[in-house]
This record gives sequence, C-alpha cells and structure tokens, in this order.
Amino acid sequence: MDWAVITDNMGYMLGGLGLTFQMTLIALSGGMFLGCFLAMGRLSSKKWVYYPASAYVHFFRSQPLILVIFWLYFLAPVFVGRPLGAFYSTMIAFVFFEASYFSEIIRGGIQSVPKGQVMAAQATGLGFFTIQRYVVLPQALGNMAPALITRAIVIFQDTSLAYVVGLREFLRRVNLVDTREVRSVELYCFAAVVYFVICTLGSLFADHLERKREASKA
Amino acid sequence: MIEIRNIGLWYRKGQKILDNVSATVGEGSTVVICGPSGSGKSSLLRCINGLETFQEGEILVNGISVQNPNTNIYRLRANIGMVFQHFELYPHMTVTENITLAPMHVLKISKTRARQKAMELLERVGIADQAAKYPGQLSGGQQQRVAIARGLAMEPALMLFDEPTSALDPEMIQEVLEVMVDLARDGMTMVVVTHEMGFAREVADEIIFMDHGRIVEKGNVQTFFNHPENERTQQFLARILR
Amino acid sequence: MLDYNFEWSILWSQTYGPWLLKGIWTTIHLSLLAWVIGSMLGLMVALARLAPYRVVRFAGGAYVQVFRNIPLLVQMFFWYFAVPALLPREMGRWLNHEVPHLGYYCGVVCLGTYTASRVAEVIRSGFLAVPKGVTMAALATGLSPWNTYRHVTIPYALRISMPLLSNEILSCFKNSALTMTIGVMETTGMAGLIDSFTFHGLETTTAASLVYLAITLCVVAAFARVEKKMRIPGLMERSN
Repeated sequence: MDWAVITDNMGYMLGGLGLTFQMTLIALSGGMFLGCFLAMGRLSSKKWVYYPASAYVHFFRSQPLILVIFWLYFLAPVFVGRPLGAFYSTMIAFVFFEASYFSEIIRGGIQSVPKGQVMAAQATGLGFFTIQRYVVLPQALGNMAPALITRAIVIFQDTSLAYVVGLREFLRRVNLVDTREVRSVELYCFAAVVYFVICTLGSLFADHLERKREASKA
Repeated sequence: MIEIRNIGLWYRKGQKILDNVSATVGEGSTVVICGPSGSGKSSLLRCINGLETFQEGEILVNGISVQNPNTNIYRLRANIGMVFQHFELYPHMTVTENITLAPMHVLKISKTRARQKAMELLERVGIADQAAKYPGQLSGGQQQRVAIARGLAMEPALMLFDEPTSALDPEMIQEVLEVMVDLARDGMTMVVVTHEMGFAREVADEIIFMDHGRIVEKGNVQTFFNHPENERTQQFLARILR
Repeated sequence: MLDYNFEWSILWSQTYGPWLLKGIWTTIHLSLLAWVIGSMLGLMVALARLAPYRVVRFAGGAYVQVFRNIPLLVQMFFWYFAVPALLPREMGRWLNHEVPHLGYYCGVVCLGTYTASRVAEVIRSGFLAVPKGVTMAALATGLSPWNTYRHVTIPYALRISMPLLSNEILSCFKNSALTMTIGVMETTGMAGLIDSFTFHGLETTTAASLVYLAITLCVVAAFARVEKKMRIPGLMERSN
C-alpha cells in the first residue's frame, strides 16, 4: 500500500469533481424541465399527447444510460450538422435520459394528491391554473421531494459514465492517474470513499425530508 | 384452566397497558371481556398465549407458567386456539391449506389426515363448499369462520377470541356468533373479547369489564347486566345497550 | 443536417452480424447469471436486515449502504483492477494472465453483488408490508418462528415484492452494459467495437438500443405471465 499516490494527485483528481457537479446540475435541471412536460403528456387525456409521451418514457427507461451516451455521441452531430464535442452530446444524452425518470416521479407526485382536493377547489370556483399552482403542486412537490433527491444522487453517480466518451470528470481523472501510477487498490478505494461520503450525505438528507414529511402528516 | 395473577404490562415511557390484573377461567367455561377501546383487553388476551411479554405477575395455563423460560411456548400455543379481529388468514394459501398448515408442521399429522380433519371442521362451521378458495374470495363472515376452523384444527383445550365480529358487516355477525355459541355449548373453554352483549347474555359464565388496564368489574351475567356496581360499567352499558 | 452515409447493411454483413449476435448472447447470459447471484444474495441480505440480532442487522444495512452509494462503474473498476492486486502476488498474476475472460467473471460478480443490494431493499420492504397480525396468527397456532417464516412470511413477502423484482431484473440487463468498460464484449461493447472498425457507430448503437428495447419487452411480457400464474385471487385487494 502506498497512499502517497493519493495525496500527490489529490488536487488533480478532486478538480474533476467540479465537472462532476456541473454535469449533475445540468442533467438535474434539464431533466426536470423536460420531465415536467412529459409528465403532463402522460397525464393528458388527449391520445395524441399521451401516446408519444408514454412511448418516449418507456423507450428511454428501457435503455442503459451508457448506450444512450454513445448513441447521442453519434446521433447528435448528424442532426446539428457539425461536430458537437463530447461534453455537449453527453449532456444532451443525460437530459433526454433523465427526463424519462423525472417524468414518472412528477407524475406520481401529482397523482398522489387526492382527486377530492381538486374537486373541492373546483367547487369554490377556482380555475385550472390557480388550482395547480396553489392546491396540487405544493402538495405534489412535498410528496415527491425524497424521490427527487434520491434521483439526484443516482445522477451524481451516473455522471461517472461520461468516462466512456473521455470527459475528464472525477472518475476519469482517477483512472488516468491509475494508468500512470498503477496503484489500483489505493486509487479506487479513494474514489469509492469520495462517492460514498457525498452520496451518503445526500441520502441522509432525503431520509430527513421523508421523516419530516411523515411527522407533518401525523 | 387459566390462572392470571397480578399481571402488569407496559411499553416504554411508563404507560401501563395492564395494571395488576387477576382472573381465573375454569375448565369448560366461557368468559367475556368487554370495555372501551384501549382498555387492555386485547393485550391481556395476547399475554395468555405468550404473544405479548408482560413485566409483572404470572399466568398459568393448565398449571404451566406461560413466561417460564423452561416452558415450551410453542407446545403451549398449539393447545390454545386464537381468532383475531381481522381474521389474519394466510392470503397466499387456500382455505384448506390455511387450516392444515399448523397440524402438519406442529402436530406432524399426515397431509391426508389433516385435510380430512379440515373438511370436518369446515363442515362444522358451515362452509365446506369454500375449501378450495383463497381467503380473498370469501366474505368477511366466511373468512372469520375459516379462522375459527384453523384454530380448532389443533384440537385446543382453550380458544381465545379477540373481537371476532368487530370488523364484520352487520349482516355477517350472526353467522360467526352462531358458530361460537355452538362451540361454547359443546363445552369448549373460551375467553372472548367482544361487545356483542347478546352473545354474552346467551353463553357467558362470567363477564369482565376492563378500563384503563384494570379490571373494574366482574360477575355473572345476571349481576353484571342488572346490578352493575361501578359507575364506569354503568356508563358503558348505558351506551352499548341503548 | 450533416451528411451521413447510412449503411445499415453492416449489421447483417458476414463479418459483423455474428459479432452483434455474440454480443447479444453475452448480454443475456451475463445478466441472467448476475441476476441469479443477486437475488439469492439479496434475499440473504434482506433476511439479515430483519434479523433479531443487532450485529447481523448492522452488517446487512452496511452492505446495502456501501453498494448503493458507490457508482457501479467504480465497483466494476474495483473488481477488475484492484481485487487482483489485493490478492497474494501469485494469485493475482494467475488471474491476470491465465484466466480467460477475467472481465466477464468480474462483471458477473460485480453486477451480482450490486443487484443484491437493490433486491435486498425490495424484499425487505415486502417483508415489512406483511401484516403483523398474519405472523402473529401463525405463531398463535403453535408454529415455530422458523416455520412461520418459511410457510407464511416469506411466500407472502415475495408475492408482494414480485412487481418490483421485475424492475430489478430489467435494471440488471441495463447495468450489464457497464461491463464493456472492463473489456466484456456484450451488446453495447460490440456496438463500439464494430464502430471502431467501420466508423458506423450510429447504426450499431441504434441496433443495440433496439436490442435493449426488445429485451425489456420480453421480460415485461414474461413477468406479466408469471404474475398472472402466481396471482392469488383477492390478495392484492387485501394488501391495499
């Protein structure tokens, strides 16, 4: 064992976390944004809205993310008309992919609000958007908060897959150091600990929210 | 048959569920326990077959101490049938399988013999035609009769009933009570937690009224209904017999 | 639109067609093997998490936490690069040089242990969903705790868990794509490999994604059949 390899390359490797967080944030916000529309489509009673949205969601949920990253790496330039670069094509892949998961979380959140709530609001004469804004969404958001955070943690872990198209995020940098120094045990243990600590903090936060929600219900 | 001596039971934070409860149930007699919800009736019942662990006192069933570490609690439970408020049938097994499970694995009776026995019991509770169905396909009253048959399959010396009719729709209560009355008339020793005062009047040898974990009043049917001494009992009866 | 010269025929060309088929076959048996390991280990971890002994419970909980909070890719690298280095020198050398398809075995073990942590959570929640009264009723008839577990709690819990377990087998298929990073030539890996020979990655990755879609549809259909067979009249109404 030679832990010096970690202290020596600490700055370089942790520097990759910047890109990791950046990717997480883009995937999270982009995925949620697109996911909102998909969720509305999935809840729509219009068939021509419902079926395309459902097909999209089911298709992406059946795919491995790593393949989607590859696929868009090849596909995106064809559509855009010029080479895009690994970062942009990967981010597009993440947003498209995560949107399908967020759509289901958001849909579940909206459906968790009892129909009686909407009817009661309608009975007082409120309009569709007022009802959504003041009655449905506040309740739905509370209900889906833990699931959203859990998904954020999964995204954070999944950013490591950008490794396959050569993006130098945290894991890629650890991997590069390993190629040079050949100290796999120490380096991958280090990587595991870094991910573990961050993800554990995240899931503790999710648990905390969940408990708070349960407490407020009781 | 059952000797309950100064039982005390509490969960954490010092809230007492049972407080200095004593009672005796003679062989072949039927004892009805009633009282408001949260008065400790069900807990007392569960103490008798060791499903609940109490901190004070002692319970003897046929002279065997329930909480003595040397007691084989499984053998003791095999000798005590229990029927629950929500039936608690095994939903993944057919009616027959529900009844034969314990006889086959505890008494080591052969499958054929156990099935035969199950059919006899189903006949007795009046639903032999439902033997191959799953609990989810039966009405509440039918499910509860299956639960009674499941208890009887172990040929217990004693049956415990924990509010057997309170989860049932009104029109199904009678069919379950009839089975229980028959059982009492056949000389089964029974402890029944129930609010069915008609049933109590018909077969109870003794009625116990509990409140806040204590036995407030006990007596035979005549004195209990006609001359209740305690004020709480009077209030309770006034409300329930209205 | 960039000019792109589509050449779908490479998918069924004499050289690359069989490669792709081989990749698909690898995906299937690797995932199924990992799934078998994952579900058996997962059941054990779930039981450990519910055990009456604190130490065992803690161990089960720690297992789930560790495997869930470390990216699968890091775990892949760990099994493939670090584990041989952790073993005694001779053994590590033997693994690296003498064992053919080391990546495959590492992939199976990695995916299996990871899947176990997820299956454990699903099964555990199934156990927690078994009404306490049913267990109590079994104990009241004199059944021993073990017999109660075996005949009542376990079958009941597994039936509750079934729909979610089908999700986990799908995840297992999808996650198997990560083994390409340690040199296993499964569907995704093959798509990349053919691209490096032909520069027709768009066609190969499109084909690969249709393969995953087909696998998903097959698994969903198969589970629907199994569930229909195992369905017990009235059970779900009760547990709702």
